Amino acid sequence: MSDYLKNSFQQPSDTTEEIGTEEFIVNMGPQHPSTHGVCRLLLKMDGEVIVDVVPYVGYLHRSMEKIAENRTYLQYMPLTDRIDYVSAMFCNHVFCLAVEKLAQIPVPERAEYIRVIMDELNRIASHLIWLGTFALDLGAITPFLYCFREREKILDLFEMVCGQRMTFNYMRFGGVSRDLPPEFIPKAKEFVEYFKPRVDEYEAILTNNPLFLGRTKRVGILDQKTAIDYSVTGPNLRATGFKWDLRKEEPYSIYDRFEFDIPTGTNSDVWDRYIVRIQEMRQANRILEQALNSIPEGEIKTKTPTVFRPPKGEVYARIESTRGEMGFYIVSDGSTMPYRIKLRTASFSNLAVLPEMCRGWKIADIVAIFASLDVIMPDVDR
Amino acid sequence: MTKEQILQAFQNKFPQKIEEIPFVRVDVAFKVDKDLILDVCRFAKGTPELDFNLLACLSCVDYIDHMELVYNLFSFTHKHKIAIKTSLPRGGEIDSVTLVWNAAGWHEREIAELFGMTFRNHPDPRPILLPEDWNEGYPMRKDWEGKDFVRLPKK
Repeated sequence: MSDYLKNSFQQPSDTTEEIGTEEFIVNMGPQHPSTHGVCRLLLKMDGEVIVDVVPYVGYLHRSMEKIAENRTYLQYMPLTDRIDYVSAMFCNHVFCLAVEKLAQIPVPERAEYIRVIMDELNRIASHLIWLGTFALDLGAITPFLYCFREREKILDLFEMVCGQRMTFNYMRFGGVSRDLPPEFIPKAKEFVEYFKPRVDEYEAILTNNPLFLGRTKRVGILDQKTAIDYSVTGPNLRATGFKWDLRKEEPYSIYDRFEFDIPTGTNSDVWDRYIVRIQEMRQANRILEQALNSIPEGEIKTKTPTVFRPPKGEVYARIESTRGEMGFYIVSDGSTMPYRIKLRTASFSNLAVLPEMCRGWKIADIVAIFASLDVIMPDVDR
Repeated sequence: MTKEQILQAFQNKFPQKIEEIPFVRVDVAFKVDKDLILDVCRFAKGTPELDFNLLACLSCVDYIDHMELVYNLFSFTHKHKIAIKTSLPRGGEIDSVTLVWNAAGWHEREIAELFGMTFRNHPDPRPILLPEDWNEGYPMRKDWEGKDFVRLPKK
């Protein structure tokens, strides 16, 4: 009998030290169903336990910032849709906001209302995509079908307004590109009523489901200090119990006219990030209801020339997008094209914190943690 | 704190080094020397009356003869927002502020790669966005020439 076989018949030792373990590397992505786009994670593993995670991004880098320097302000508008295509209205809105502040363009009241309605519809649509794919990642297929059923209705509303379902190119400096069609308001009101009980439906499947709780409760905890240190914003920050929403704290557009609450979490785990987004859908619906009932008649756009020269200067404008703080830093040199645009996207900062949350968890938990961050890869790579 | 008090706090700590500049939609914006940036950032975060705990944005602008870094800071506690600017020669070196805010890590990696500058004491100075075999220079610089890149005339 060879030495090798003799050894293998020996009694197993009590400690693993004698056998000896070693760390190994697992490559996850770039093409992986649960990375929601093209993201590569290098996992350093000790058995099934994660020692470290190194995210590799940039697979979708389209150099949006460089392209901006070669376009007039208005020509850049359709490109902003592609920054975060799941919630494109916010990209439109923040770009408009920045240029309007820089060039001091007033916005008519009706246009502000339309913007708020579009933002909140988009917030619900984006959270629905997130909820569907998040549940799918955890192995629940039904919520995915439910979510896309409702999202379809929102996309129909968008199509009615601007002809597009995902990349809208709808807002303009000083307003929006076209007025709401007469059938929009009744349809949207119908949707608001239709959507209210739908959220309970999702909750009935997931919130207290023992399988779901097992995968999400006390998993991937991100404490408040680390979150702020990494500039994590949006629902991920609110899930740590930090009450912060730019719509309330630094009201832009006309958000100070509406009543809504800021949902927060307590344990800052995956489940909290889930429940915060569920609550946010209800709040978005609340804002929608108020806006649809109080929208005034009037102008939808301040007249601005197609090609215009904002004065020399710099501006940093930010809004509360679905994923957190989205900011545009624009430097104008007084010509028709921006001198420099820097895009501050929420996903970029939210993804940077991933290694801090994953250490010590099992490989299956990474899927839940990554999905709970709601990262959109084109938003990271720009 | 009012706008003047914030500026005063910085001026008291760094006399003769703070130069106010215009900036839309922030409370105060000022310029500092590049060697002071780490001290100024530490002061901005560490002083309880200022407490700038969020690095909202870190950007770089190329002005051909020099480059400017812009730090957009925000305080959750006091709701102040400021912008700190510093200028450095092209391809220059500057202290990394990753030790002050971890959020700066990825932003600095991006700037280092796209603009070609060095951040001293950066914990993880790998490139981030461009392909691994990229050797066509620093694309975000104003005078960059690429194969398929056509610059439109300025009007």
